[in-house]
Amino acid sequence: MSVRNFALFVLLGSVMIGPAVEARVKHIEMRVEGMT
Amino acid sequence: MKQHLGRQAGVQKVEVNLIDGKVDVTPKEDGQIDPAQLLKATYDSGVSTAEMDITARGRIIRNGSGGFALQVEPNQSFALAPNELSKTLEFLADTPAFVTVLGQLYKKPPGKKKPEPPTSLSLTIIEVQKKE
Repeated sequence: MSVRNFALFVLLGSVMIGPAVEARVKHIEMRVEGMT
Repeated sequence: MKQHLGRQAGVQKVEVNLIDGKVDVTPKEDGQIDPAQLLKATYDSGVSTAEMDITARGRIIRNGSGGFALQVEPNQSFALAPNELSKTLEFLADTPAFVTVLGQLYKKPPGKKKPEPPTSLSLTIIEVQKKE
């Protein structure tokens, strides 16, 4: 595999995997009652 | 309660405000957090949750029952409670588009002092923060 093809492979891989990794719960806020 | 919540999987930081009863949970960046487990841990610590809101980024998918859901992990999604805002996201179902939303996952039923934690949660979208 040429350097150019390898670079293209890495680039496409990061484009496809990147957004999936970033999908997540970013923050949770709760209001609770009965706390002392 | 702070210790109970801090021990749950995927939790990085817990901040508790005793004055207004507000609890902020920061998930780990590389971990999976389960809001239902947080509700149970809160219940087990002896206090009741009045509301739980989450900010999450994920994809809109169609679920098996004909509704829609926000998928935040390959094995974790929240069914969307239909409202005006959820309707504006339906066209993104099963596309590669990502959305970031603020939504309510739980609200205590009126009249009950300390109800059992729910077994299933649905997400009522309050604000669509980003579509990408």
